[in-house]
Amino acid sequence: MIELIKKLCESFGPSGRENTVRSLIIEELKKNGVDFTIDTLGNLIVTKESKESQDAKKILIAAHMDEIGLMVTFIDEDGFLRFTNIGGLLKNTLPGRKVVFENGTVGIIGQEKIKNTKELVLDKLYIDIGAQSHEEAKSKVKIGDMAVFLAPFSREGNRVMAKSLDNRIGCAVVLEALKKLLSFSLPNTVYFVFTVQEEVGLRGARPVAYRLKPDFGLAIDVTRVGDTPEPEFNTNVALGKGPTVKIKDSSVICHPQVTNLMIKVAENKNIPYQPEVLERGGTDAGAIHLVREGIPSGALSIPCRYIHTPAEMVDLDDVKNSVSFLSELLKVSW
Amino acid sequence: MLDEGGLLKKVNLHDYLRKIIQIDGVSGYEDNVAAFISETFSPYVDSTRTDNLGNLILYKRGSKKDAPSILFAAHMDEIGLIVTKIEDNGFLRFTSLGGFDVRTLPGQEVTVYGQKPVNGIIGFKPSYLDLDEEKGQSVEMKNLFIDTGFPREQVEKNIRIGSIAAIKRGFLPLLNNRCAGKAFDDRAGIAVLWQCARELVRIEHEAHLYFVATVQEEVGTRGAIVSTYGISPDLGIAVDVCHGDFPGAMEHEVSPLGEGAVVTVGPNIHPLMAKRLFETAEEYNLPCQRDVSPGPTGTDARAIQISLEGIPTALVSVPLRYMHTSVELIAPEDVKIAGRLLAYFAAGLNRSFLEELSCL
Repeated sequence: MIELIKKLCESFGPSGRENTVRSLIIEELKKNGVDFTIDTLGNLIVTKESKESQDAKKILIAAHMDEIGLMVTFIDEDGFLRFTNIGGLLKNTLPGRKVVFENGTVGIIGQEKIKNTKELVLDKLYIDIGAQSHEEAKSKVKIGDMAVFLAPFSREGNRVMAKSLDNRIGCAVVLEALKKLLSFSLPNTVYFVFTVQEEVGLRGARPVAYRLKPDFGLAIDVTRVGDTPEPEFNTNVALGKGPTVKIKDSSVICHPQVTNLMIKVAENKNIPYQPEVLERGGTDAGAIHLVREGIPSGALSIPCRYIHTPAEMVDLDDVKNSVSFLSELLKVSW
Repeated sequence: MLDEGGLLKKVNLHDYLRKIIQIDGVSGYEDNVAAFISETFSPYVDSTRTDNLGNLILYKRGSKKDAPSILFAAHMDEIGLIVTKIEDNGFLRFTSLGGFDVRTLPGQEVTVYGQKPVNGIIGFKPSYLDLDEEKGQSVEMKNLFIDTGFPREQVEKNIRIGSIAAIKRGFLPLLNNRCAGKAFDDRAGIAVLWQCARELVRIEHEAHLYFVATVQEEVGTRGAIVSTYGISPDLGIAVDVCHGDFPGAMEHEVSPLGEGAVVTVGPNIHPLMAKRLFETAEEYNLPCQRDVSPGPTGTDARAIQISLEGIPTALVSVPLRYMHTSVELIAPEDVKIAGRLLAYFAAGLNRSFLEELSCL
């Protein structure tokens, strides 16, 4: 699974340009003989029909494939690039970082002279791709091209560090659970969906939920922790203490039917879990639960440090427990 | 739930308001309020159902089969708190469900809904202990906490991350028949619908009426999004509260208490819906104020208008002072007037009005 996580994290997939990540996941699906479809916006859908009952409940599992990124808005006469954000970039993590475009062009985020850090806004930053002229820059990069952080995957003991663990780790968890469940006959029809454009407003999950008309929605994503020095938020969620059962975030108040079931399954199967109230941030469940006449939804999150920076961190036990948790959840009738 | 039992007719509006604001129902946890509403509307409606997200849909059939349908939406949720962290010593950290004015939180009494409800107060560091650099700084929610008086072990047995807390506050009758308390935003709106339903006992109406007590308005009009889709009405009216008058307010920002219902105009509102409301108010001699909202209103009207293929929408409000505090203050006669206005508006609805709307 480590190799899969590494491959997923190191690949290029800002919101709206998820094709590389999607291809990687498709490769995995094909290896396992799993059929799939792709919708109009690029969401990747795997359907596992329940053969047990005519009126089996339909569950949509959503993990977003996209990551935050940068988009070129202007190329100046010396070949420096100005950019805007794709999703929630944290501006104080940007200066000095390497970024990479889809065609492999590498750049460094440079910073104009500023008097104090309050002046650090995106307008003061640029990307330097080493071009020595406007023409040279234009030959490599166009306005509208996207870049993502160039950051290697590392592992230290039980912890992995990489860019875009938000939410490639969610994709990996869903893929692993899907593989584990292949040989099982399930009481529910399950749609495993790898969504697009979550980071720019949960845009992929909405139409895919509209199309599939599920009875329940469950997002698999990362969540913030409070186990670092002077954390920004008041939370007990910590790395290594298990996946979380989301109660609420900015986008959704999870449906008690879903959270109660999750807690019951975790307790019956002795899977460690943490209840989660996330003060700032949303996930695909936020879009799914408001589709059509309302779809009771919840989320299983993987605790993650330094979210939306070029170096995020998760615990491998949490990842393994998330796979077991999701698999066990899908083996019970909803 | 009503202590009067079968004597609903004897419950006056004042009693209704007194009861409904004292039921806790923060966003996402509206069940108890829904039960009260369901019971108190039952004599006046034909059917009741609850949708997937908990919206309570009360249907009253009109007298003509192909008459238009209209949705009246008032949200039953109130702003509240949710536990984010249990400190080592048992103090509870929290965040809000909906937008509290944080300055008004310190010192409030709350009910924390663990396995059993327990009392708590919102604690804070007394300003006398502020360091020099902290003096005069604004209150931040992350520095506040709920103190239940319990040690951690006892707290953890009962309360967990995700337990909710509601502000605890009684009904305070004031001079001039006015009253103050929590959650008048938007239980006053529910009371408007209740008044409307009662008026309609003696007024014939062709149109089919859906009274919807929506959920989760305070966190983003979420209940209205799905209930409007589910009902698919021809017309919609959101019923909510707006800012009342107080010293220091800019006149154009507030609507005085006791001067009747408030009808909003602006891009969120279909101009002919607002026009018909003003005409109805004039015809029946109901005092009515005009308010302007330049963008999408901060009410269920924003969700209703852009549902499905688009729905002609209006907004009727009750003036309220001190919004999103535990001492929201209203004049019940404004509620009564708004209820009457909606009833007469509903009574005047027919197929030809619907056709007028499309040739603006």
